[in-house]
Amino acid sequence: MSKGESRAARRRSGIAAVIVLAIVSVFAVRLFDIQVVNADSLRADAEKHGNFTGSAVLPGVRGSIIDSEGTVLAVSSVAYDAALDPALIDGVTRIDDAGNKYVESWGRLAERIGAIIDMSGAEVEKVADDALAANADSRYVVLRKGLSTEQYRALADLDAPMLALSSEKTRTYPNGAVGGNLVGFLNVDEEPQEGYEQIENACLESTDGRLTYQRSGDGGVKIPGTTKEDPAPHDGGTLQLTIDSDLSWYLLQMLKEEVETQKAKAGSIMVVDVKTGEIKAAVDYPTLDPNDPAATDPEDRGALALRRQFEPGSTFKAITAATLLDVGAVTPLTEVQASGHEVFPNGAVVGDSFNHPVYNYTVAGALIDSSNVALSKLGELVPDRTRYEYLKKFGVGEGSPIGYTYEPSGLISDPDGWDNQTHYATSFGQGIAVTMQQVVGAYQAIANGGVKKPMHLVESCTSADGEVTTPELPEDQRVIKEETSKQVLDLLENVAVQGTNAKAIEIPGYRLGIKTGTAQISNGQGGYKAGVYFTSMIGVAPVEDPRYIVMVSLDQPRRETSSAANAPAFQKAMTHVLQYYRVPPSTEPFEPLPKFAE
Amino acid sequence: MSIVDVDLLPFDPPPRRQEPHLEALPRPRRKPRLAYALVAITGAVLIALAQLGMTILTAQSSYDLAAVEQEQRQLTLDQQELTEDLAGLASPQYLAANASALGMVIDSTPSYLRLSDSAILGSGAPAGDTSTVNVQNGNAAANALIAQTPLVTDEDLTIADVTPQQEMPATVTDAPPLDGGLPTPNTH
Repeated sequence: MSKGESRAARRRSGIAAVIVLAIVSVFAVRLFDIQVVNADSLRADAEKHGNFTGSAVLPGVRGSIIDSEGTVLAVSSVAYDAALDPALIDGVTRIDDAGNKYVESWGRLAERIGAIIDMSGAEVEKVADDALAANADSRYVVLRKGLSTEQYRALADLDAPMLALSSEKTRTYPNGAVGGNLVGFLNVDEEPQEGYEQIENACLESTDGRLTYQRSGDGGVKIPGTTKEDPAPHDGGTLQLTIDSDLSWYLLQMLKEEVETQKAKAGSIMVVDVKTGEIKAAVDYPTLDPNDPAATDPEDRGALALRRQFEPGSTFKAITAATLLDVGAVTPLTEVQASGHEVFPNGAVVGDSFNHPVYNYTVAGALIDSSNVALSKLGELVPDRTRYEYLKKFGVGEGSPIGYTYEPSGLISDPDGWDNQTHYATSFGQGIAVTMQQVVGAYQAIANGGVKKPMHLVESCTSADGEVTTPELPEDQRVIKEETSKQVLDLLENVAVQGTNAKAIEIPGYRLGIKTGTAQISNGQGGYKAGVYFTSMIGVAPVEDPRYIVMVSLDQPRRETSSAANAPAFQKAMTHVLQYYRVPPSTEPFEPLPKFAE
Repeated sequence: MSIVDVDLLPFDPPPRRQEPHLEALPRPRRKPRLAYALVAITGAVLIALAQLGMTILTAQSSYDLAAVEQEQRQLTLDQQELTEDLAGLASPQYLAANASALGMVIDSTPSYLRLSDSAILGSGAPAGDTSTVNVQNGNAAANALIAQTPLVTDEDLTIADVTPQQEMPATVTDAPPLDGGLPTPNTH
């Protein structure tokens, strides 16, 4: 090979390499252009023109609400809507078993559709006719919403081209009205309206995802490797409440019967675990079935037990006694003289609920007879500010750790502003306003050795990936000394045993302490309603080792207008609570305190 | 000695080096190895076939998957249907209504037997036949899910059914005391 030949060969191969490289780089640039630069618009184009891509909503599931035992109170499910396309309404050609063609008339099909969704054939036809009358080009008219799966399948089997079926999320409350006041409900758009559905929506909420994929031409089989979840669906968490549905059912059923017997407007019962501050039941009657909230008067659709604010009345005499005992101003046997009606030196007038001459009460006796006059005199043994501070420590005016929507905070004014009447009235539970949870909370502190546990209704939220969050609650707080708590419990037991309701509230085998309260009700014109009251009864059992607090309130009972109306409901509620939670009967004997001083 | 004194001598041209003699050797002719070519081609074919096979299998399995997904949809519907049928049947009000229809009562005065000393705690009285609640006299806990569902224990009733309570007279007159056995009618 000569020198010249080899140079020529090298040149040729060089040129070939350059050409090849040039072509390759053109392809590379074009490939880059298609795959990267214009990828999105090309993909969109393909999706628009070709029937290659499919997408589906991946529904996120809203979390369930369960009770303390895991019983489901609210769960998400699916319901179906049926709609008609009036433009497709016509007879449908079908082939029978023998292979013969026949036409099924619209009228016949309407009959069959109607039979499934509880409408007559004529009614189904009317829906379509009305839609066409309103708009001749109508392509969509809702036939019926909220169909069951059974109905959906039956409709799908009809193979009726004018039927458009779609699914929608819905919420089911398996226990109906049991716990319904607390659980709340959603509206038709699945937006929370009330109760824990609303308060804990952040825990329960879900978000839908979207699945996109490329599919084959025959029947839309997903082409492997092309499915993409963007965004991924997110399921809601499970919310656990502290309530117990079986206990709540009993209390609700019993409360209804008592509200009716006592001819009251409404009633509430609350049960709290003394050691933990867990609310085991908060029941209202009247109440709602969250499956059908529209059936209930709008005023009765919330948890009235947690939203009512009232003057506690005599139930707070125990708080005054606790204050006085705690600062050492009295002992349970300190004497106080009181008649049935007295005018105090500052001009304030205080009367008891019954007429009596001057009695030489002990503190125990003053509580047993629930003497306003005696408590007014005892209250004066400490400065107003001391009583104010104790009331605040017991929780008055502070709302509650429950944090329920529209929960009132309670009312108490600064003692500097107390007038002559309020100076005395605050000793026997008037001149202040509280909520049921505040009364129960105050008694919880008394029953728990003087330590106030934060009351709560939410146990935990468990997210879809298993992470458990418990609500942030305030620290335990010592309100009174342990010794004081024992003395107050002793006083409450004397009220239970020696008071006027002793027979009605007795639970054989158990030692319990109670106090009643009767509050006047505002008539909305600055005065009070005559002859009707908001009555309450609160009790703790067993006294020697308190486990549960039960409070029953009745709104304007008319058969028996005083707090004695609450006795049967309280007795049944407490009996059931002790039985339900297997609380062993008391074994230690009870030593009564003298009602009157020697 | 200064540099001027140096004699400049003529530079001898270096001796020309003899170029080495290079000559191309005849290349030994190697026989092309057929085995390598065969292995390469077979390998390529095998890879192509394997890829094709795998594609066919994945495609097939995606059809299988679609069929199974369809089956799953049907089963989900089955499950949904059954769950709907059961919704509310485990609720306490349904259970209570069923129990009540059987005549079961909730006793108001429980008694307890303490095993350590055989002591009877509580009321000690025999349980009565009156219930502390009476669901047949009106159900407090409405439940739209089972409003139309008949009770298991009495198929004529639902939880919402109210059995009209018998009106008891305000005062029930006591039976007259019996002296000397049952009164005998004077018949002739």
